[in-house]
Order: sequence, then structure tokens, then C-alpha cells
Amino acid sequence: MNAPTDLRTLRTAVLDTSGRLAVAGAGTAAGWGGALEPVDAVLDTTGMRGVIAHNPGDMTVSVRAGTPLRELAAELAPHGQHVAFDAARVAGGATVGGLFATADAGPAALVHGSLRDLVIGVTLVLADGTVASSGGHVIKNVAGYDLAKLVHGSYGTLAVIAEVVLRLHPVPESTATLSVACTLPEAAELAAVVLGGPYEPAALEWAEGTLLIKVDGTERALPARVERLRAAVGGSTAEPDIWERHAALVRGADGRASIRVGVLPSRLPELLGALPRVSTTTAGLGTGVATVTVEPDAVAEAHRLVHEMGGTSALRARPAGTDAPAWGPPPSALGVLRAIKAELDPKGRFGPGRFAPWM
Amino acid sequence: MGLSYAVRREFEYTLSPQDVISDPVRCRAYECDGLTGYRVIPDLVLLPRTAEQVASAVRVCAEHGIPFVARGAGTGLSGGALPVADGVVISLARLKRVLEVDPVNRRAVVEPGVTNLEITKAAAPHGLYYAPDPSSQQVCTIGGNVAENSGGAHCLKYGFTTNHVLSVEVVLADGSVVTLGSDTGEQLGPDLRGTFLGSEGTLGITTKITVRLLRTPESVRTLLADFPSIAAAGDVVSDVVAAGIVPAAVEMMDTLAIEAAEEAVHAGYTVGVPAALVVELDGPTEECDVQFEQVKQICERHGCTRLHIAGSPEERAAIWRGRKAAFAAVGRISPDYFVQDGVVPRTRLAEVLDRIAGMGADAGLRVANVFHAGDGNLHPLVLYSAAAGETERAEKLSGEIAELCVEMGGSLSGEHGIGTDKACSMPKMFTEDDLAVMRRVRGAFDPRGLCNPGKVLPTPRLCGERPGKYKPHPLEESGVIERL
Repeated sequence: MNAPTDLRTLRTAVLDTSGRLAVAGAGTAAGWGGALEPVDAVLDTTGMRGVIAHNPGDMTVSVRAGTPLRELAAELAPHGQHVAFDAARVAGGATVGGLFATADAGPAALVHGSLRDLVIGVTLVLADGTVASSGGHVIKNVAGYDLAKLVHGSYGTLAVIAEVVLRLHPVPESTATLSVACTLPEAAELAAVVLGGPYEPAALEWAEGTLLIKVDGTERALPARVERLRAAVGGSTAEPDIWERHAALVRGADGRASIRVGVLPSRLPELLGALPRVSTTTAGLGTGVATVTVEPDAVAEAHRLVHEMGGTSALRARPAGTDAPAWGPPPSALGVLRAIKAELDPKGRFGPGRFAPWM
Repeated sequence: MGLSYAVRREFEYTLSPQDVISDPVRCRAYECDGLTGYRVIPDLVLLPRTAEQVASAVRVCAEHGIPFVARGAGTGLSGGALPVADGVVISLARLKRVLEVDPVNRRAVVEPGVTNLEITKAAAPHGLYYAPDPSSQQVCTIGGNVAENSGGAHCLKYGFTTNHVLSVEVVLADGSVVTLGSDTGEQLGPDLRGTFLGSEGTLGITTKITVRLLRTPESVRTLLADFPSIAAAGDVVSDVVAAGIVPAAVEMMDTLAIEAAEEAVHAGYTVGVPAALVVELDGPTEECDVQFEQVKQICERHGCTRLHIAGSPEERAAIWRGRKAAFAAVGRISPDYFVQDGVVPRTRLAEVLDRIAGMGADAGLRVANVFHAGDGNLHPLVLYSAAAGETERAEKLSGEIAELCVEMGGSLSGEHGIGTDKACSMPKMFTEDDLAVMRRVRGAFDPRGLCNPGKVLPTPRLCGERPGKYKPHPLEESGVIERL
């Protein structure tokens, strides 16, 4: 186990080891993607933590990639700022680098997208020790290729993320959640009303018989907005901890496989209705992205069904001892993915197996 | 040298003879984009009508090793669509169908030659719009926006092209066709959609784009405020941000820019004031009202000398007409000008503008400023007279301003792109290793370098062996390596 503490020691660790390497953060997603093949060493990034520079006036922060996002959130909170990102595993101590490398996202993606939309700069260490950066502390920047995008969703197979610069948003003054008890098809109809009206929801999720509509705003304006929304869709105000319960459902339960699926929002209810042997469902009705827990032997069928509907699917949790496939059919750009892997990591050192059987 | 007759015939066979331009006089119309200082007449201009024809044309290029440059409306300001000698231009102007507007899923599928504004026009009957709004939106194409990752006045709140494009169909340099991204924007594996967006036509040609549409905001409130100094206007921006308000747009203009815009369009700006600020808020009516009140108070607190609130859509349009006219209007007060596009951290705006004023005075040239104050994206306009022999001095000043932005912790370009114009300045912003990794990425998409060569990344042929300004490598800063 190698435990670098910053860019310098990370680079040394990559150069001083030979053979195949796995990158490990807090371990909240260690079982995501393809099963890791045997490696010669593991790079533990959790020692690379802490803020490098927070510029409150510019609303940007750079951090070492091993920083748990919840720790960063605690540091930013006194400034009234946050990373507008709420993936379920943040509460479990997930690191900024790990969340980025696994392309995770939560309900806030409806407005703010995933971390790819919030990261404005990155510093990477390649398998040959090359250090490369792109972006910086300005939110608007089109100079050069955006190397950050390349490692978003790369599962540690292209480079090790050393440092990340994030765009920040103001923490809303006030926030409220309406909860409406309904079936998924009913929820889809209500979602259309919410999205078609002037309500500007901050999150819109159906989970286990309840539609959750979150609204962010100012203390003065929010009550009237919530009333307008209630008049349109009914329901009652939920306690804030309802989102913690939602996150727990997304994280899933031991012994079950968890899959993240994405499809045109209008087709999401149909897809979720067709998936076999589902035990829990959380569905982003505005984004078209849902997370379901299923029996491990139903995963392959789920991939197939999603693919037939033109969607995307990725295995999130793989119960120990099962060999549920991580991915469905490969994307059309598989050739480009392989070429990028060959350019950046020609010896195949990083994260072997993560994209099996594609590459 | 030029392309052979046989190759021309092959293109004519692949498309149709009338869709291949070889007459040098007609090819001249494609010799430059919005950056008119650089000109190269292409050997051939291809005008495919379908995505399949684009792919077929690229396959012919691949077979013969012919470099190609994709072109939309040619409004780019960095020479990104500059043709390559002995190469072809592939115009996407005829791929201009809006294939689908899907109000339920709030997205549209369009061909690359559709203009930015046409998307919003197609979406408007459904109460939807396409958010990124570059100043050239009436003419610039979405394909060009994808290539440049275009921004606009409203990207402070709503983001850039990369945040609004869910998927792109791309013809790669070998003529194969792939889809990057998906209906939801979710991508399996590395974010190739994001890598491609903003790659300035160097990784492939877009033939179909799925964009996200947003609901038209319930309320829009716009004000125009005059200030006794740039610094005071800058303080307003800082205080608005500190109050937790994310305006839809915050634009600033200085005396010269105001004067030029007023002369051109008489939009009601106050001639002679040192700084004018346009602030726009949008969203649910209740929120807009609360925050607009706060913004007004902040303006007054910083010595605002005039506060004009748009009372009608027409008045709002007038304010924007003045802002958007500023660029072209500068032509009224100066025979020639260069536009820069550097970005600085917002908190350093006043300092940078001071430095630019000093540099202008030293060079004996006027600099007008009109910029996106919310995100620190400057557009200094260096005014000069070519007839008076000031070109070289102006070009030098313009380049120095871009590099000053990098020095201040910013970027060479916020939205115009690197293209041909700033490729040789890239070493001021990036280390040799950064650029080498970008070249490796390029190599993965286009190993033979046929796709828009000579753009974005500096080459010795293009830039000479001009060593970049010293910038400490991250490893130097942390003590791993030393520069002797």
C-alpha cells in the first residue's frame, strides 16, 4: 500500500512502483464498475487531503483529490458556499477524486449536473509519471483540451487525479421539500406539471411510493413558492432528513446488486416497470436517471433492457461472491476509448479490469 | 502543390459536382473566419447535404491523407476555421434541419448548421429555450458552438455549451461515426462528450447534436446602473455575489465602449460615465422581486449615479441592444480594432483593468472594455489605425493583455477559443507536459493529424522555436524537479 500525501509524493509513488496499480479513495465505491484484476500495488489517496486554495470572492476552491467531500463542505459552510453536488455516498466519506472518477451524482444533478459540470480544473499523474493540468480558478475557460472531462467516469484507468478545482455555489438561504404519496406513473404525471410550470425545482425524485420535490430560495420568497407548488400538485412538507433516507435507498442494501440506469425521462417509468427482480427504486424524473437494487442474477437482463431503450446502465454495487456484469453492450466510441487508454497508459498499469470486457 | 484532379473527381462523385467548389474565386469566400487577419484559400470547399455525405467526404480525405477543416457560419474570432493549404473546407451550412423538438423531455435534436437562435425559436412555442447565448447567436451555428464550447452573457448562471449538450454524433478523422454522450447526458466510461466539446474542430466533425432546453423563466428583471468608477461597479458585482445572488447576467462597459454603443444604437446609456453595469435576474417572480431589491440597494450603496430599471420588454431589449452593439460600434470611433477574450478571477477585475489602462497609455493606444463581469471574462478592444501604421503595436498590446490575464491566474480565452490566433501563446498558460498530454489525446482521436491541423496546440512550424514565458511546473513548486 502506498499512501502519498500530495502531488509530489503521488508522482514518486507512481514512478517507484512497477506493474499494475489500483487507486483507492475512501472505498465507498470499491466494488463499482468491473471487478479489479490482481494488482501489484494500491495507491491510497486518502492521505492527499485538504484545501489548497479557497477564493470565496471568486467562488472557487482547489483541493487535494483525497479530501472527503463532506470535510470540504464543512470548511466551506462558514462562507455560505458549497459544492452543489449531493451523491448518496458523500455521507459515507467519499473523496472528491473518487466521486469524480466514478461519475457519481445525486438529485441536485437536475439543476447543477454532475461533477463534470462543477470541476473547472484538474491535475493528473499519468502512469509514466507525467504531470498534466488543465483549467484553473476561473469558471469560464476554453483554453486547450479539458483534461478533467477525460477522467470523469474513468474509474482510475487513465490517470490518478491529484488535485481538483471546483466551482462553488451559494448555500440557499432556505429550502423546502414537498412529499406526495403516489405510484411511479402518477409521479411521472406530477413531474410533468412541476417541470412545465414556473416552480424551478432543485430536485425531483420518486422513491418507494413518494414523490419528493425540493425547492431552494430566499427566506422571504420561498413560502409563497411552496404554496403555489402545493396548490398544483398537493402533498405536504417533508422533514429535511427525508433526503438522507433517499440517499440510503440509493446506496442500497448488502446482498443486492445496485445499477444506475439512464433513459429519456418520459420512458423511465416504462423501463423501471420492465426491470426484473427489483427491490428498491429511486428515480430522477427530470433527469431520467434512476438507481435500482436487484438480485445479482438479474443484472445482465437489466443491462439488455436498458440498452434496448437506448439508455445507459452501470453496475454500482456487486455483492461479494457474485459475478454480475458491470457493463452492458459497449458504446459506439469504444475504439476511441481504447485509443485513449493506449495513449495515456500504454502498459495498462491503471485499474485493470474496471472496463472489462470492453477493454 | 494542390489537390489532384483525380481527388477532386472523387469528391464530386462522393457528393455531387455542384456541391464541390474548386473555383479559386469562389473558394476565396472561405479563406478566413471572423478573425480576418489570417487568410488561406482552400483548394476545395465541400458542401455536403447529409451526415452520411460528411462521413463519406472525410473517408476520401482519410484515404488520401488530405487535411480538412470543418466550418459553420464562419463567425469564430480565433481563426479556428482557417483553411489549411492543400486541404479542403467541409462546410456544414447545408445541414440545417431542426430534427426534433421534444417538449416532454425538454430537448432538441438538430443538425450542426442550425443557428443558435433557431433552436430557441423552435423551442419557444413550448415555453422552452436554449440557454447558451453567444453575442453572434443570430448567425453562429450550433456546430460551431460545440466546437468552441461557446458561452454568452447568461452563462454565469446557466453554464456553457458543454453543460447543455447531451450528446453529439461525430465523424472521426477516419470517417467512422460515433455518438458521444447519451439522451440523459450520462456517459459510460470517460466523458468523451466533454472532451470533444470545445476541442475546436480538432477531434472530429459534429453531424448531429442533442441539446437540453430550459423552461423560459417566469420573470426577468434588468437594470442599467452608472458608476463613478470601474472599481465601484466591480464592488457591486462582488457584493451581489457575496449576498448569495447568482444573476442571470452581469455585464460591464467603460466610457469608450459606452460612447461607441450610444453613437451606434442610441440605447439610452449615459455618455461620459466611467462605468455602466447591466444586471439581469431571472427565475420565479417571488425570488426575482426579493433579489432585485437587494441588487438595487447594493448599487445605491456603491454610489450609483443613475439607476435605470427596464419597465417593459422593449426597454430591456434596448439595454441589451446597447451592450451587444458595443463590439461592432467600436468601428465608429476607431478605424480598426483587435478583440481580446482573456479571463481573470472576478476579484482581480479592477486591478487588471487598471493595468490594461496603463499598458494602453504606454503603447499610446486606446483600449475600450466591454465584458462579462460576473465570470471575469474580459473583452478589451484595442483601438488602432492600420493606415497610421499602428497595427504591430496594437497586436503586441493585445497579446500582452491576454498574457496578463494568465499571469493573474486566469485564462487566454473565455469563449472565443485558441484557434490559430492564440496557439503560440499556449506555452504561457500550459507546461510542455500539459501540452504533450493534450497532443496524446488528439492522437487518440486523429492519429494522422488530418482534422483541423495547426489549431489549439502550438507547433514549431506555426510558432517557431519561441520559448514560452517561464512558468513554474507544479513539480518545481513542490520541489520534485528543478530548472537550471
